[in-house]
Amino acid sequence: MTNQEVSERWLLISLGNRFRSDDGVGPFLLQKLKASLGHAAEFYESGGDMVGLLGQWKDRRVCLVDAVQVSGRKQGDLIRANGLADLLAPSLCNTSSHGFNLKEAIELGKNVRLLPRRLEIFAICAENFTCGNRLSAEVKRGAVLAEQQITELVQADNGGQQCTNNH
Amino acid sequence: MSGKGKTIKVDYLARVEGEGALFIRYDDDQVHDVQLKIFEPPRFFEAFLRGRDYTEAPDITARICGICPVAYQMSALHAMEDALDLVPTPELRTLRRLLYCGEWIESHMLHVSMLHAPDFLGYPSAVAMAKGHPEIVRQALEIKKAGNALLRLLGGREVHPINVRVGGFYRTPIPEQFESLREQLLAARDLAEQMCRWSARLPFPENNQEFEFVSLVNPDEYPMNEGRIQSSRGLDISAGDYEQYFREEQVPHSTALHSILIERGAYLVGPMARFNLNYSRLSSRVKQVAEELDFRPPCTNPFKSIVVRCLEVLYAFDEALRIIENYQPPAHPYLTVKPRKASGCAATEAPRGLLYHRYGINAQGKITHAKIVAPTSQNQKTIEQDLRLMLPKFMHLPEDQLQGLCERAIRNYDPCISCSTHFLQLHLQHDQPGSL
Repeated sequence: MTNQEVSERWLLISLGNRFRSDDGVGPFLLQKLKASLGHAAEFYESGGDMVGLLGQWKDRRVCLVDAVQVSGRKQGDLIRANGLADLLAPSLCNTSSHGFNLKEAIELGKNVRLLPRRLEIFAICAENFTCGNRLSAEVKRGAVLAEQQITELVQADNGGQQCTNNH
Repeated sequence: MSGKGKTIKVDYLARVEGEGALFIRYDDDQVHDVQLKIFEPPRFFEAFLRGRDYTEAPDITARICGICPVAYQMSALHAMEDALDLVPTPELRTLRRLLYCGEWIESHMLHVSMLHAPDFLGYPSAVAMAKGHPEIVRQALEIKKAGNALLRLLGGREVHPINVRVGGFYRTPIPEQFESLREQLLAARDLAEQMCRWSARLPFPENNQEFEFVSLVNPDEYPMNEGRIQSSRGLDISAGDYEQYFREEQVPHSTALHSILIERGAYLVGPMARFNLNYSRLSSRVKQVAEELDFRPPCTNPFKSIVVRCLEVLYAFDEALRIIENYQPPAHPYLTVKPRKASGCAATEAPRGLLYHRYGINAQGKITHAKIVAPTSQNQKTIEQDLRLMLPKFMHLPEDQLQGLCERAIRNYDPCISCSTHFLQLHLQHDQPGSL
């Protein structure tokens, strides 16, 4: 492995399918944050290749946004989790037998030392995953809240710690 | 019937794409029945292509598979271009080959490291294997990342590329875009060579079998997009004659059709077939590595397909680098054509093997019929035969080990059930005396 310089900027990653209604909240939010944060962060819309995330997020500070289905929660509710410490909602761990889910990608990352140094997950509760490219009003409201929190997080850290020596 | 009958049952086979089951009934003397039961629902791609514009076929069929979308795009493009007598320029043809290199790299390396390798090292999953062999997994991820970078550059994105069209590409790269990619490919090629050497040292069960290998053969190059369909037993036809020689059959236990060579039966497509029929067309580096490893054709043990996949990955890097070195941007990113009533077909080499498409279009360019034969449906009967012939050699094993071996044997083929239904519960039944 080559030693590559690790960017200090936050890496914002979206998961989800733009053409599956509320599942598109991740890419939707990423687009909004791109417009508001500009060069203060980097942006990566994942097409679903979780293993590919390991190459993107190594040693970075990462915010990951996705839609989530959680029983007992209302549409638009925002669930925030520390991806390196908290248990993930089962619906963030959906998988195909040929692919990896987010939880497996994090586990694999731990084993091969390809983890971000910080992984903040913003999951917006949603119910409508049918074909379509419109978000429900509730999910849009959740996206606004997530946008505020991610913006605060990124801006608070800008100009902050620059030292990359973590050891 | 002598001996005690047994049943081994595995409800879902892991590390294959799609949903299916395997049922095997056997006793101490022989295997009575092997059924690869694919129960994933049919996906009706051929039906809903009807009425769509001919230009949409590459992007619609790409959705059949998230692992090998380029293969579907390539077979669809070539079939449409065959119908419309459209011949892409050499530069466009070369860029398509480069895109295919990217898919072979990422698809093969996913299977080698995440799905297949844990079988040889005694781990239940790649995540578990990564604890014991982190360096191998890290190397594989670097290799896969290079394949993804090729797909992203030429296809617009890594999964389900969006930049190919009938006649060429929507946009073609400028030479400068290959500069940083070249360095990444060179570094990943070294890792790929290490992966070949590592894979050849894995412990392989003895399971040599006689197959009729079928793949494209092109006198000028290792086959990807073009060539005649040839076999190890003398078949030599064009894609246009495919349906005269190959037939799909319904079987009661599978939602996927089984392909056979008419009056000959099961055959094998995929990396082993390509390697055995096209060894001389591999790059000198790949042949040198293969010779050093004493790994020469014919490879007849499906467990060793992991080595062949690694060699094909190394080849794909050599080929990609050769193409990049000589890259001349096409004068136009695509050629245009007016639709007319026509029909056409093509076969290309998906990572898992021969992928055949045939389309008919009307005067307005709307698709009137479509036929797609995926590699996994072509290999299904061979997988069943392989198990039937393999099991008697391993009857001495305890039942749980025998069951594990059957699952491994299936993964040798890297089956993509979602493509073919367009796999797996395993049920092994050891018969009791007098039970039949």
